[in-house]
Amino acid sequence: MKWWQLKKRDADLERELRSDLELEEEEQRENGLSPEEARYAARRAFGNAALIKEQTHEVWGVASIECLWQDVRFAFRHLHRSPGFTLTAVLILALGIGASTAVFSILESVLLRPYAFQDPGGIVIWREVIQEAVKQYPSVPDNYRHFLYLSSHAKTIQDAALVQNASFAITAGGDHPRIEKGLSVSPNFFSVLGVTPMLGRAFLLDEAQSGRNDVVVISWDAWQDLFHGEPDVVGRTIKIKGESAMVIGVLPRGFEFPVINEMRGSASPDQTKPYEVFQPFVPQGDDLTSDDGDFAFLVIARLKQGVAVGQASTELASLLSAYSATNHLPLHLSAIVEPLSQEVTGSVGKALWLLFMAVLGLLLIACVNLASLQLARAVVRERDNAVRAALGAGRMRLFETAFTESVVLCLSGGALGVLLALAGIRLFIAAAPENLPRLHDIRVTWPVLLFACGVSGLAALLSGTLPALRSIRSNPQRALQSASTRILRAGHTPVIRKLLIAFEIACTVVLLIVTGVVVRSFSRVLNQPHDFDASQVILAEADLLSPRYEQPNGAGDSARSECIDRIIDKIRSTPGVESAAMTSAMPLSGESAVHSMYRPDHPLPESEVPTANLRNVSPVYFPTMRTRLIAGRDFTASERTNPQSAIISQKAAQAAWPEGQALGRKLKFNGRNYTVTGVAADARIADIKENIPVVYLPYWHDPPASVFFLVRTSRTLDEFAPIIRREVWNVDPEAAIPVIEMLDTQLVQSVAPERLQSIVLSSFGISALVLAILGVYGVLAYSVSLRRQEFGIRIALGSGKSALIGLVLLQAAYPVALGTGAGLIMALIALRWVRSLLYQTPVMDPLAVGGSVLLLLVAATLAAIVPARRAASTDPMRVLRME
Amino acid sequence: MSSMAKQAQQRVGLLQGTLDMLVLRTLLYGPAHGHQIGKHIQRTTNEFLQMQHGSLYPALHRLEQRGWVSAKWETAPDRNREFKYYRLTDKGRKQLLVEESQWKQMAEAVARVMWPAAEES
Repeated sequence: MKWWQLKKRDADLERELRSDLELEEEEQRENGLSPEEARYAARRAFGNAALIKEQTHEVWGVASIECLWQDVRFAFRHLHRSPGFTLTAVLILALGIGASTAVFSILESVLLRPYAFQDPGGIVIWREVIQEAVKQYPSVPDNYRHFLYLSSHAKTIQDAALVQNASFAITAGGDHPRIEKGLSVSPNFFSVLGVTPMLGRAFLLDEAQSGRNDVVVISWDAWQDLFHGEPDVVGRTIKIKGESAMVIGVLPRGFEFPVINEMRGSASPDQTKPYEVFQPFVPQGDDLTSDDGDFAFLVIARLKQGVAVGQASTELASLLSAYSATNHLPLHLSAIVEPLSQEVTGSVGKALWLLFMAVLGLLLIACVNLASLQLARAVVRERDNAVRAALGAGRMRLFETAFTESVVLCLSGGALGVLLALAGIRLFIAAAPENLPRLHDIRVTWPVLLFACGVSGLAALLSGTLPALRSIRSNPQRALQSASTRILRAGHTPVIRKLLIAFEIACTVVLLIVTGVVVRSFSRVLNQPHDFDASQVILAEADLLSPRYEQPNGAGDSARSECIDRIIDKIRSTPGVESAAMTSAMPLSGESAVHSMYRPDHPLPESEVPTANLRNVSPVYFPTMRTRLIAGRDFTASERTNPQSAIISQKAAQAAWPEGQALGRKLKFNGRNYTVTGVAADARIADIKENIPVVYLPYWHDPPASVFFLVRTSRTLDEFAPIIRREVWNVDPEAAIPVIEMLDTQLVQSVAPERLQSIVLSSFGISALVLAILGVYGVLAYSVSLRRQEFGIRIALGSGKSALIGLVLLQAAYPVALGTGAGLIMALIALRWVRSLLYQTPVMDPLAVGGSVLLLLVAATLAAIVPARRAASTDPMRVLRME
Repeated sequence: MSSMAKQAQQRVGLLQGTLDMLVLRTLLYGPAHGHQIGKHIQRTTNEFLQMQHGSLYPALHRLEQRGWVSAKWETAPDRNREFKYYRLTDKGRKQLLVEESQWKQMAEAVARVMWPAAEES
C-alpha cells in the first residue's frame, strides 16, 4: 500500500461501506420496518463503521503512519499557536546542533578521516634524538647514513623512504615559471604509502642517481593546472629551474600528502600549499659521508604487520645508540618513531577535542533549557491532557503526542543547524591560520550529516522525555476537579533547577570575561601603533631564477639589480600608482637574516653585541610603507654606486648607541662597513606583535633572488595584479610570481591564530549568553505558569503590578547573583590560564570584566521581565472563575 | 499503534483463517458484493455464525491485497446502483484448495482425538 494512494483507497472504502449499508437498510425496510427502525437495525447488523475502517487500514499497513501523521500535524498546529516559543526553541537547537556539527566536521576532516593511502595506520615517521642537544631540540631529522643503516637493519620496519621539502620553479610549455611545493623523495616513497599513479608509473630504484633523476611524478591538481588534464601527459617534459624533467606519472585525485616539516611540530606558517611535484632524491657530497652532522631528512616508513609504534621506537633507538657506540661517534644517538597522523595534527588534535567537548556541553545546556521551557508548557497543557486521558487516550499515546512535538522541534532545529554549520565552516576556513593541518580538506560529508541527525535525535530525547513524561503523569480526576496540585507546589522552583541556572550564569560570566579580555588583546594587537600602513598596498613576490643572474664576478648581481630597477620604474609610472618599492623579505612572516651590529669604536664581547634583522630595500621604501624617518634621509640613486649607507630602526639605534646620536656613526653588519644615514620609526614589519630591530640596506650590492614589490595604489587588486604580472614578465619572462595580494591580507593572515581565538571565544560567549537568558526565562516562565492562581488572588486582594513584578524578579535574583559571584571567582582562575594568550593586556582588564558582568545582568533582567510582566497582567477574574 | 486497533486485530486474528476460506468458497459461485457475501454465509450456516457484516470488509481487503480476489465497481442487475463486486482470481482458486485441504486435515485430526471409538468401529 502506497501512502500517497491512501486518500483514494479511503474514499473507495467509504463508498463501499455506504452502498452496502444502504442496501441492508433497504432490505430491512422491505421486511416491513419503519425507515427509522430500518436504519438502526442496519447499523446494528453492520457494526462500528469507524472500527471497520481502522481495521481495514490495519490490513493496508498504514495505521501507525496515520497515528504518526496525526501527531505531527497536531505538533505543528500546537507549535504554530505559540510562534514565540517555537522560534526560540528552534533557534536554540539550531545554535547547539549547528555548532556541534560544525566542530564535528572540522574534527572529522582534520583528525578522523583517514589518508588516501593503503592502510594509513601503519605509516610512521622517525627522527633522531641527540642526547647532547635534547634540551634545545627534542628530536632532529635523520642523517642519510643512519637512515640507510636503520632501514636495512630494523626488523619492525617493512619499508622506509626519505622525504625532504622542496620548492620547484616549474615551466610547462611556453608559460612563465611558477613555484610549486613538492618533495624530494626516495624512489620507493609511493610503494611505502601503497599508492600507485593513475597515469604512468612511479619512480624506479635507479632513478635516484645523478643524471637519471630528471623525472617527476605530479599530483592530480598539478596535471590539471600545468597540462589542463590532457591525457597524453606522460612522457612530456617540464622545466624545473631551467632544466628539463620528464613527467612519468600522475597521482590519483584523492591523494594528498599532508604538509610536514623536517623539524618536529606542525608545519611552519609559510608551509601552506599542498605538495604538487615529486622528484627522486639524489644523495650527494656530505650526505654520503657525514655521520655526525647533516641531520636533514624526514623518514616515512611502513611498520610490519602487527608491530606497534612503541616496539619500532624501542628497536630503532637501540639500533642507533649501538651504531653510535660502535662507530665511536662524538654524539649519543637514539631514535623516536611516531604515527604520521599524530605528527601532522600535532597539538591541534587536543585543542579540537577540547573544542568538541565544549560544544557538546553547550548543546547539553541548550537541551536542558529547552526541557525547562517545555515543562512550563506541559503545565499549561495539563488540563488538555487530563481531558484526553479521561476520554480514553492511552498513556503511550499521550506520551507519543507530547514527544512528537520535541522531535518536530529538534528536526527543524537540526535542519537549520546544518545550514548554520555550513556557514560556520566557511567562516572557520576563512579565519583559520593557513598552516592548520588539512584545512582545505574540511567539508561537510555524509558522516557529518549522520552526526547532525544523531545529535538532533539525541537532543529530542534529552529535551523531550521529561516534559512528555510530565504530560502523562496527570491524574485526570484530580486535574479536572481542581488545580490544588499546583497551589501546593506554588512558589518553590526545585533547587536543582535554580542551581542549574546559577551554574549557567557562572559559566557565562567566565566565558564573557575571557572573551572580553581576549578580544581586547586582539584589538590591541591590531590597533597599537606599528608605524607602517598596510592599507592600499599591493604585495607581489617575484622570484628571479634565470641562469643569467648566476654569472660570476658580479655580472649576475648587476643584471638582477638592473632588472629590479626597471620593474620598479615601470610600475611607478603606471597611472594610479602613488609609489612603488621593494624589500628582500616577506613582510609579516617573522624574522629574517639576523646579524650582529658591530661598532668599530666600541667593541663588545660577542654575546653582548646587539643583533638586528637585515632587510634590503629600494629608495622610496619608507614613503611607500608610510614609515616615518625620524632622522637623516632616505636612500637615493646615488647609493647604487656607493652602497655604504644604512638606515636603522629606532630600536636598533638604541641597542647599538644607548647614549643616542646614531646618525653618521659607523657600523659593521653582515661583514661590511656602513654609515648610518637615517633612523626610521619602529615599523613592526617582521611581526606585528614584536618590535624587532631592523637594519635597512640599499639592495644594489646584494640583490635578492626573491623580490617583494610593494605598490601603494588606489586601484584594486583585481585591476592591478595583471599589470604587475605584465610589467615583471616584460622585463624578465623567466620570473615566477608566486604571490600577489594586498598587504592587508598578509597582515590579517599573520594574526590568524589570535583572530581565530577571538572568533571562537566570541561565538562561545554569545551562545552562552543566549542560553543563560533562555535558562532564566524558562525557569521563571515555568514557575509563573504554576503560580497563576496565586497571582490572581494577590491581585484580587489588592497587590499592585509593580509589587508582583518585583516578586518574580526577586525569584530570579538569587540564582543570578549566586552565579555571577561564582563566575567572577572562576574567571580569576580561568584568566590566569589564558594569560599566555594575551598580548600586552592586563588580565584584570576593568572594561572587559565590568562590561561582561553588566551585559549579563542587563540580559538576565530582560529575560526575567517577560514572565514577570505576564505574572503582573494575570486577570484575576479569569483565574478565579477557572477554579 | 493505538491500543484500540490492537484489540481489534486480535479479534480478527481469531476468525481470520476460517473467514477467508468461507469468503473464497462463497465467491466460487460467482462474483458478489460484500453484502451478498455476508448474507450468504449467514444464511447457509442457518444464522449460526452471527457475525457483523462489518468484520467482512477488512477480510475482503486483505484477500484483495494478496491477489486472491479482484474487485470492480459494477451495476447490480436487480437494482439500479453500483456495488463493489469481488471476483475469485486463479490464485484465489488455488488458495481455496489449499485452505480446504488444511481445514479437512485439521478437522480429521480433531475428530480423531475427540471420538477415537467411532473410528475403531
